[in-house]
Amino acid sequence: MTVGLVIVSHSAQLAEGVVELAGQMAQGKVAIAAAGGTAAGALGTSVEKILAALHVVDGPDGILVLLDLGSAVMATEMAIEAFTEGREDFQDHIIISSAPLVEGAVIAAVESSIGNSLHEVAEAAAEACTLPKVHSQNSQD
Amino acid sequence: MPVAEAYLVIKNKVGLHARPARLLVQTAAQFQSRIQLQQGEKSANAKSIIGVLKLGAVFGDVLVLRAEGEDAEKAVKTLTELVDRKFDEEE
Repeated sequence: MTVGLVIVSHSAQLAEGVVELAGQMAQGKVAIAAAGGTAAGALGTSVEKILAALHVVDGPDGILVLLDLGSAVMATEMAIEAFTEGREDFQDHIIISSAPLVEGAVIAAVESSIGNSLHEVAEAAAEACTLPKVHSQNSQD
Repeated sequence: MPVAEAYLVIKNKVGLHARPARLLVQTAAQFQSRIQLQQGEKSANAKSIIGVLKLGAVFGDVLVLRAEGEDAEKAVKTLTELVDRKFDEEE
């Protein structure tokens, strides 16, 4: 098994696109689910959609949740609360990542695909913001 | 502890961008050995996607591949072949 990924976005299309991209990197080895838009299909987030996505990707190795914007945090926390209700063993089962969505998802997909733990995958994703998009000649990295 | 080393010349046009880097990391992760890539002053764990992407290796770059562990020789051979095959994705 590998760490599952949930992609939360205010846009259903954006979430699906990130799942497509991260899925290509994971080579079928990682469960990745989209939770984008509201239940009515508008822009926004849906606790129900996030909860459903958590159930889709759940496994023994835990789940990393990636978000497009910080305003998705509250709905995500509510979904996680509903998901883990009455399950004390789920204390460290789910991590919400602060990583930028696309880079974070791509990195998490690869790190999960090679069998790393939830904390290792989360740490790698969190470093995504340090990844330069443009490698300039005099880059200090 | 066995150690194996090789020079890698990046021969695919796009360099170590997302897909080749992903393939390199997933291949490296199949081995027990500790595997490092060195490019000039920069070095990276070959099993870390963020480390490999940060190297930013482009066409023509030369990297030193170094593996330490029981399967070091096999790891270096497999990874060298992968790079020489241009990651099986030639344009």
